Amino acid sequence: MAGFILRRIFQAIFVILAVTLVVSFAIRLTGDPALMLTQGAGSVTEEDLARIREALGLNQPFLVQYGQFMLGLLRLDFGRSFLGGTPVAQLIATALPATLLLAFASMMVSIALSIPLGIKAAISKGRWADQTIRILSLVGLSFPNFWLAIMLVLLFSITLRWLPPSGMDGFASFIMPAVTIGIILTALNVRIVRAAMLETLQQQYIMVARAKGLSETAVLYKHALRNCAIPLITYFGLQFGGLLGGIVVVERVFNWPGLGTLALDAVAGRDYPVLQAVITVLSLLIIGVNLAIDIAYGIIDPRIRLEAKE
Amino acid sequence: MLLKKGLCTLLTAAAMTGALLAPLPAGAGGTMIVSSPQDPGSWDPIDTFLVNWASVATNIYDGLTYRGPDTKLVPGLATSWEELDKGLRLRFILREGVVFHNGEPFNAEAVKFTFDRLLGEEGKKGPQRSNYAAIKSVAVIDAKTVDFLLSQPDPVLLTKLAGYGAMIVPPKYVTEKGDDYFNAHPVGTGPFQFVSYEPKVGIKLEAFAKHWGGAPKLDKLEYRFISEPSTAVAELQAGRVDLVIPPTIPIAMIPTLQKDANTAIATCASPTVCALRFNTGKGITADEKVRTAMILGVDREAIIKTVLAGQAEPIASFQGKLSFGNDPKMKPLPFDPQKAKQLLKEAGVAPGTAVQIDVRGNDATFNEVAQAVAGYLQGIGLNATIKPYETNVLLNDIIPAGKTGEMFQQLWGGWTLDYDNTAYLMYHSGEKWNPYDKDKELDALLESQRSITDRVEREKILQSIAQYTAKRALEMPLYNINAIFGVSKRLKNFTPVPDSRLRLTEVTVE
Repeated sequence: MAGFILRRIFQAIFVILAVTLVVSFAIRLTGDPALMLTQGAGSVTEEDLARIREALGLNQPFLVQYGQFMLGLLRLDFGRSFLGGTPVAQLIATALPATLLLAFASMMVSIALSIPLGIKAAISKGRWADQTIRILSLVGLSFPNFWLAIMLVLLFSITLRWLPPSGMDGFASFIMPAVTIGIILTALNVRIVRAAMLETLQQQYIMVARAKGLSETAVLYKHALRNCAIPLITYFGLQFGGLLGGIVVVERVFNWPGLGTLALDAVAGRDYPVLQAVITVLSLLIIGVNLAIDIAYGIIDPRIRLEAKE
Repeated sequence: MLLKKGLCTLLTAAAMTGALLAPLPAGAGGTMIVSSPQDPGSWDPIDTFLVNWASVATNIYDGLTYRGPDTKLVPGLATSWEELDKGLRLRFILREGVVFHNGEPFNAEAVKFTFDRLLGEEGKKGPQRSNYAAIKSVAVIDAKTVDFLLSQPDPVLLTKLAGYGAMIVPPKYVTEKGDDYFNAHPVGTGPFQFVSYEPKVGIKLEAFAKHWGGAPKLDKLEYRFISEPSTAVAELQAGRVDLVIPPTIPIAMIPTLQKDANTAIATCASPTVCALRFNTGKGITADEKVRTAMILGVDREAIIKTVLAGQAEPIASFQGKLSFGNDPKMKPLPFDPQKAKQLLKEAGVAPGTAVQIDVRGNDATFNEVAQAVAGYLQGIGLNATIKPYETNVLLNDIIPAGKTGEMFQQLWGGWTLDYDNTAYLMYHSGEKWNPYDKDKELDALLESQRSITDRVEREKILQSIAQYTAKRALEMPLYNINAIFGVSKRLKNFTPVPDSRLRLTEVTVE
């Protein structure tokens, strides 16, 4: 197992190198931050621009700038935002937990809804419950998430005044963004759970379990669900990774102070250090999640542990 | 069962938080919450030019002069001033008994420190320095007198001392704590003092009881950074924000706020003007006749009435009525499609000739305006297409590089409300915003007014510049848009300001 993890960490380093190199290069194609910073100022001379570029370290060759970024990364120093000079590490330190919490809350909403609904659909295959769940899933998939977000705000914030329309401010502020993302994930996940469950339910060990006289709940949740857990965990894990990058729109609508908002502002403001840092952190997270899934396999399925030992 | 239980918990939690969200009882003047579209990232006056910096910082800092909602220049930290040595020296007498929020005294040394810093190494890194380039040095005469020595007279300097880079900072605090700390923990002499700042989330201030102008009526003043217009409007409607400042509220959302029993709209004239400027370098718009025809062919009044719901005024040159240099006698060219067609014919432009209009893609309101303009141009036989760009790309890479189509959107509005700030940057040869035109006569006019401090004489020159550019049809002047504020009806004594430099000393919240 240790060798396996070491190998994965080694691979991760290459992935990080490739991602940061591509991102650092690509963002420099978006244009000159010195122009951005002086956009509303009066007459700006070439000398003014050169002075600002120098202050930001942009007069150095690309590889030197990239090298400095990577050296900083080793010390967990991401440099300073071009816009205002706030240390990037400080921005990440507030944005990362915000995004992780929201992604986690959304996954919880989705898992809490999709597993029972998926199982229900599977056991009532072809009957009205299955049809209803599948139609609802299709409706859910067709919702643009920003539309759902705005509808929720109209109902729960403006009309009923139950929930805050935006910001991250206590438990109540999590409900609408997490439900917005959670519902859309559920629409997708219900189908995955249903398919995995249908396949498992046809296995012989399920028949054996039933023949032993076990209750239907025990058959479903103890035998069937555990056996289809591997594909589901892989799927949910990958989804979690994708989710981190994909909640940008929802973060924007709910003014959520997360990585998505940070990245969007950084792209618009040509804030190289912030964008580089956000992408690096996101890549690390996705690599970390994948690693965690691999480890989780071993815990769920003892056979994988045994194979590793051999 | 599990699902039922979960749903019940969720709904109970929702109902409980609903109860928690009821408005809290306010103090004497209460707490006011403002929605601002952008976090400037630093509160140091020399780091930024963003109006959203000023909408907060006008409450934290004071300048030597002050300009409020009525746009009249009045004493600030200086009680009086005089011009010496033919405008090359300005002497300021400073207000006595003023203290910074940290208890440090305000005096001539603080003024010198502020400008030495702006014009020195620290100022070099920021965009504010170039606005104060006329200042050679600041000399302390005594504790309450300072002299500004200028390299050339600057007629707009007194106005510029009322905002942005000229805000007076505390020398001891900045020196001891360092610039990085000061960026995130601002201290000034203004009516509100800093409490806390969370990057990308918001900034909190509280009343400064020892302010020289008397304590403000509000107890607390908080700003939340909300970039999405619909989110800001929802917060206002939900009663969690008391004021949404420009440029957030799109025209299309005005009726929503007007219909809501708890919210309203407050507007006033702003410095912001909008024009479609011409590519005078090449193509059919290099011909003055064609440009004039295009202006005549578009009914700008109708666009203001329909697309902009009347929240703008027509303009004859690239400035609004608040601008020093605006000539109220100058009238916009009339809408005359017949004459337009005739001019196009005279210029030899074939019907169906293509023109391209470059716009900011994320500006929903202007995209509608551009559609209307394209429609009118179609009416005089030109085939107009609209090309949307990402705003920063258009502003930094397309316009300055001279890569635009025949027309391009330009939105401008200097807070100094002086036409020089627009005209010089738009029309002088070699300026960033003037990629196409070279006109020696215009250059001379623009340069001549820069060192004249006689207001009457200078205004005449600025007006003649406006007439000259209108005669040459350098742009299609569209409109001067209002500053639009979304206001909660709980807010009392709020006066909209033209330039987002809000000083909220008189406001209270019920």
